[in-house]
Amino acid sequence: MSAVPAAARAVEPRDAVLGVAPRLAVEPASVEEAADAMRAFARDRLAVVFVGGGTDMELGAAPARLDAVLRTTGLARIREHAPSDQIVAVQGGMRLADLQRHLAGHHQRLALDPPFPDRATVGGIVAANAFGPRRTRYGPVRDLVIGITIVRADGAVAHGGGKVVKNVAGFDLPRLFCGSLGTLGLVAEVVFRLHPLPEASGTAVFEGLDARDVAETLPVLRDLGVEPTAVAALPSGGKFALAVRFEGFAPGVKAQVERTLARAGAGAKVEGGDEAALWSRHDAVRCAGDVRAKATFAPASLARAADALAPVAGALRGGAIVLHPGPGIAFVSGSLDGADRAAAAIESARSALAPLAGGALVLSAAPAELRARTSPWGPPPQSLEVMRRLKKELDPEARLAPGRFVGGI
Amino acid sequence: MSLVQDKNVAARMAAVVGAGNVLTEPGDLHVYAADGLTHGRRTPDLVVLPGSTEEVVEVVRIAREAGCPIVPRGSGTGLSGGARPVEGCIVLSLSRMRRVLEVDLANGWARVEPGVFNLDVTKTVSGAGYYYAPDPSSQSICSIGGNVAENSGGAHCLKYGFTTHHVLAATVVLSDASVVHLGGPAADAPGYDLLAALVGSEGMVGIVTEATLRLLRKPETTRTFFATFPSTDEAGSAVSGIIAAGILPAAIEMMDRLAIEAAKAATGLDWPDVGAALLMDADGPREEVEHVSARAIEVARAAGALEIRVPRDEAERQLMWKGRKCAFAAVGRISPNYMVEDGVIPRSEIARVLREIERMAAERGLRVANVFHAGDGNLHPLVLYDARKPGQEERAAELGGEILRLCIRSGGSITGEHGVGAEKAAYMAEQFQPDDLETMQRVRCAFDGANLLNPGKVFPTPRLCGEKPGPYAPHPAEAAGLAERW
Repeated sequence: MSAVPAAARAVEPRDAVLGVAPRLAVEPASVEEAADAMRAFARDRLAVVFVGGGTDMELGAAPARLDAVLRTTGLARIREHAPSDQIVAVQGGMRLADLQRHLAGHHQRLALDPPFPDRATVGGIVAANAFGPRRTRYGPVRDLVIGITIVRADGAVAHGGGKVVKNVAGFDLPRLFCGSLGTLGLVAEVVFRLHPLPEASGTAVFEGLDARDVAETLPVLRDLGVEPTAVAALPSGGKFALAVRFEGFAPGVKAQVERTLARAGAGAKVEGGDEAALWSRHDAVRCAGDVRAKATFAPASLARAADALAPVAGALRGGAIVLHPGPGIAFVSGSLDGADRAAAAIESARSALAPLAGGALVLSAAPAELRARTSPWGPPPQSLEVMRRLKKELDPEARLAPGRFVGGI
Repeated sequence: MSLVQDKNVAARMAAVVGAGNVLTEPGDLHVYAADGLTHGRRTPDLVVLPGSTEEVVEVVRIAREAGCPIVPRGSGTGLSGGARPVEGCIVLSLSRMRRVLEVDLANGWARVEPGVFNLDVTKTVSGAGYYYAPDPSSQSICSIGGNVAENSGGAHCLKYGFTTHHVLAATVVLSDASVVHLGGPAADAPGYDLLAALVGSEGMVGIVTEATLRLLRKPETTRTFFATFPSTDEAGSAVSGIIAAGILPAAIEMMDRLAIEAAKAATGLDWPDVGAALLMDADGPREEVEHVSARAIEVARAAGALEIRVPRDEAERQLMWKGRKCAFAAVGRISPNYMVEDGVIPRSEIARVLREIERMAAERGLRVANVFHAGDGNLHPLVLYDARKPGQEERAAELGGEILRLCIRSGGSITGEHGVGAEKAAYMAEQFQPDDLETMQRVRCAFDGANLLNPGKVFPTPRLCGEKPGPYAPHPAEAAGLAERW
């Protein structure tokens, strides 16, 4: 095997990906070093998995083969921050919390709030399509990415998009790489659109709801004309607590919380430390246990989706459901308590979700025994053949995270 | 005899779509020789108007068998020559597919055929208080299929995003005559985000036969103001100041002296003769909007605004917007000819770049009117010229090119919403590196390995799919002069 001197280091146990250990680990300190490493891997036909903060490594299947891991730890620089243009160009290995700290100094933020911001890297967030409750207002990562630098399987460095928000020159590589899970190339640098840090925040909370009540609240909010930044329903005493967050200028936040409380039933306003604790609890519940699933469905079918997911939660120890009614997404989390039972519940939930406008259930974490019984992705999409061709165009030897993605890609 | 006639393609197409939906007469074909960009016309050999996904499949199959490139076309309002015919092509017009197939207000989406006009989506749902957000200036006649191909924007995309943010699913016919369903409409369909590759691919990835679009609830309140400034310098700093104050306007548009003059001539608005004007919309919940609007007006005053006008009612507001929206066409009143450019710069560079454009125009004895989406730095310089005067048209075209180069040098882009099309393909090589363009073309190859869809657009040097190192053998498209190798 050829050496990769600039970036190679000893393999450690933590380098294993879903139980598959690599022979080689590299930590490039620059995009050029990453490209050198990728060229060396290409020469030796090595299979490689990219690792950022490791917070979403359990998403997808175990790699079919693995020779090397490329950690982006050394790619953690802010390349350009233009506060007045509200954009930041940042290397893929930068941790979200570090980026947010820098931006906060300029009264700005990246409107992405996935779990584990202290570990999750921006490249990993793009690759895994990670998100949090603010997706309600700001959309998924694809809505905030305006430029990308990738390193291809053959070591070529390619850019898409740019540094301006409005830009239709060329094919949309930045969005295409969102959710591609390291199977098309390394996300070496990302340019994001930023938003101002809000001067105020307040959350209206409604306790004691069932899924039907949650479903009925959404049209009420829409009719109210309010613009919440986050809406989520958390388990609370056997029922759901619906949290509706408003952020922005103080007069707007105050008025929107009051209007929401006045119209949407008995609730309470939560601010300050209590508000932060509430949203931390959201992340904690969503990420509890060793089984985590994301379900998607037509937003108006939320109650039916919740019914379909209840048996999945019931099959797990401490199983819980968190609902994001806006985009039509639910998270199920808990600890495995019988793989056969959980797999059966997941399969029947998938059958129930599919008719809800193409809904799906994807495992974002699962022990090997559950993976052995059900695919982490569910049935392949109708367009799988095109996806295979795309993979073949960008990674003809199938060396990037082989087998990790949908349909065995 | 052309390839199209040779293979009796017209008769086979007619058997699929009906004889009345196949155009072969020169007079009919002439209409399709150009889109909204009228130079570089080329009359196609054949125009076909299928009426369903199944008919599109058959039309594509026949064209593929005959080796005819396909140029998809919506309403033909594009401004970059994206629907310009190429040698031996058929033009596939989607304008007969004009049905709204499904409206689902509970989920906030509508499924439509590609020929539906952008504004008709909004008209279909406005009674219930909903609308479709992307609002290109041509929205009353441009089609959804064309919007998807171009990733169309509009004045209000500063807050609401572009077409790519509002397409939830699509049914697409590929060049191998297969039908694929992309997206959900449920969120996060497993697999690659192929919709991202489709939207903005300028007809090179597939032919959209259905699209599911996001519908938004109309904002509760909209507040508009019009502010005048001594020059674009102060107007530019007002824009930067408004954004720096943490405000996200729904739209913020700038006009310079010439554009204001043109808009006045066209509408009879009583706008003053000033160096620059801004038109800003803030929308959303009432209390937030009132606060934001007041703050923005303070910022504009501090930046040197001469006068602030707030419309008294919706009619006056509509009139202000009419002045802005008609400014393109209105320039025809102050100049015999003009070219529309479309470039993007970082917002903070507006004042500097406008001064530079003015200097470059003066050097060439030309004038440039500017009316544009200032909030996202999307310039639309209108280069005024008189084609009757020798050399002016050439100088105008050259100035247009230099403006695009200035956008690239300033860290921006050669197009914010009009697309690259046939017009700007050459500039792609200045904005992007060879590996960038080659990667994008690999993406295209995954969808259209036969290089059949809209060849010759976007990429300065078309790449043939499946190229492998080895002995040279000419591809049919290469032999026909449609592509060349790297």
